[in-house]
Amino acid sequence: MNRFILKNGRLVTFVILAILAWFVYRQFIVKGSPFLPFAIMTGVIWVIGTFVFLYIWPRMTYSAYKRALLQKAPGGPIPVNTFYAIPKLASASASDGSLLSTGTDSILYVNGWLELSDGPLVLHVPDFMGRYYSLQFTDPSTGTNFAYVGKRTTGTRAGDFLVSAPGWQGSVPQGMRLIASTNRSVMVVGRVFVENDGDMQAAYELAKQVQVIPFDA
Amino acid sequence: MINANHWKTYNKPMSQVLAFLSNAHIVQAIIIGCVFAFLTASIIMNAVFKRMTTTVNGWSTTTKCGKPGNSLLERAASARTLPAINLVEEAAYWTTTRDSEGHALDGRHNYSLVFPSGQLPPNDAFWSLTLTDVAGYMVNNPIDRYSLGDRSGLVPNADGSITIYIQTTAASGHEANWLPSPSGKFKLMLRAYLPGRAILEGDYLVPPVRRVD
Repeated sequence: MNRFILKNGRLVTFVILAILAWFVYRQFIVKGSPFLPFAIMTGVIWVIGTFVFLYIWPRMTYSAYKRALLQKAPGGPIPVNTFYAIPKLASASASDGSLLSTGTDSILYVNGWLELSDGPLVLHVPDFMGRYYSLQFTDPSTGTNFAYVGKRTTGTRAGDFLVSAPGWQGSVPQGMRLIASTNRSVMVVGRVFVENDGDMQAAYELAKQVQVIPFDA
Repeated sequence: MINANHWKTYNKPMSQVLAFLSNAHIVQAIIIGCVFAFLTASIIMNAVFKRMTTTVNGWSTTTKCGKPGNSLLERAASARTLPAINLVEEAAYWTTTRDSEGHALDGRHNYSLVFPSGQLPPNDAFWSLTLTDVAGYMVNNPIDRYSLGDRSGLVPNADGSITIYIQTTAASGHEANWLPSPSGKFKLMLRAYLPGRAILEGDYLVPPVRRVD
């Protein structure tokens, strides 16, 4: 269904508009109902609705990602505040709702959805020994990537990071680095480079060690 | 017993409201208004995304997605077109659905992409060229090859340039450089992870995809 709508967007739009045009024709031209109140109401909804759609578009998009990450994880549903390393590369046989359907086949994905309402979380990353990897922290209300952990930003050595909600006040334990989130929910997209087929297992073992636990202050 | 008529009598203002709603076809107006709003928002997002994009040799790229400080329109346009993608410092992406003459890429034709000597995408991690259908999904092919890149063992030409052959049937004599295309229209995406300075400063240009038959 997703693929059908994506591939035939113009056709779907045309069919919907044709149905609406048919309704307007029946109601106001054939039956002669008063057109003005209807037109004013439509115009008001149109203008307000346009702003609403633009405002909520990132939220709608990332709530779909939340469903894909949690409910449609390839190994079965996962809870929030866990990371799931997908043991396969992107391919043509990945199912529609899967994030694997549109990615790159040089990357293993390790994804999670964090909820920080019950306090900060501690993220642990293993020693990636020079291998390229990144964890992208995305605010699901805006789509802003507000932080990265990985080769470019924090290096490939093992490390612990404290992920906190907006307004959290407390002290960061020694040896941990702070990731101050801009939202109580965070989408984390992790990407671990896979050199070739023979490197899959090694990459997967590392990806599985990306973990998150509650922080006991 | 209170029947429907009693209820109407005692709730005259309410029934007038209901009558107005039905005469004005409010529910229909809401549905039609929402459909128009959806389409208008889509058109606006597409236009904004186009403005955020630079296109050279048919390849489109943007450096603004996911950046802190983006406007409401830029955030919506990014979420619509390239949700969840990296900041450009982490990865640069180029897409094209057109050949060098502006015609849609289609499996009925053969194409070539020639990187001049030393002109592969500069990077500190990897680069890859992925072929998908126009909606972005990979397509089955006889050799299970969905992308070519720095680890594909691409064979250079005599002058050091590298040609990638994009066609439905095997490129004879150039199997290593063959990226299989599907029968219908398709899309190409080039990625460079940890892009080099030439990419970040906008100096690196991806060569055009040329139709060869």
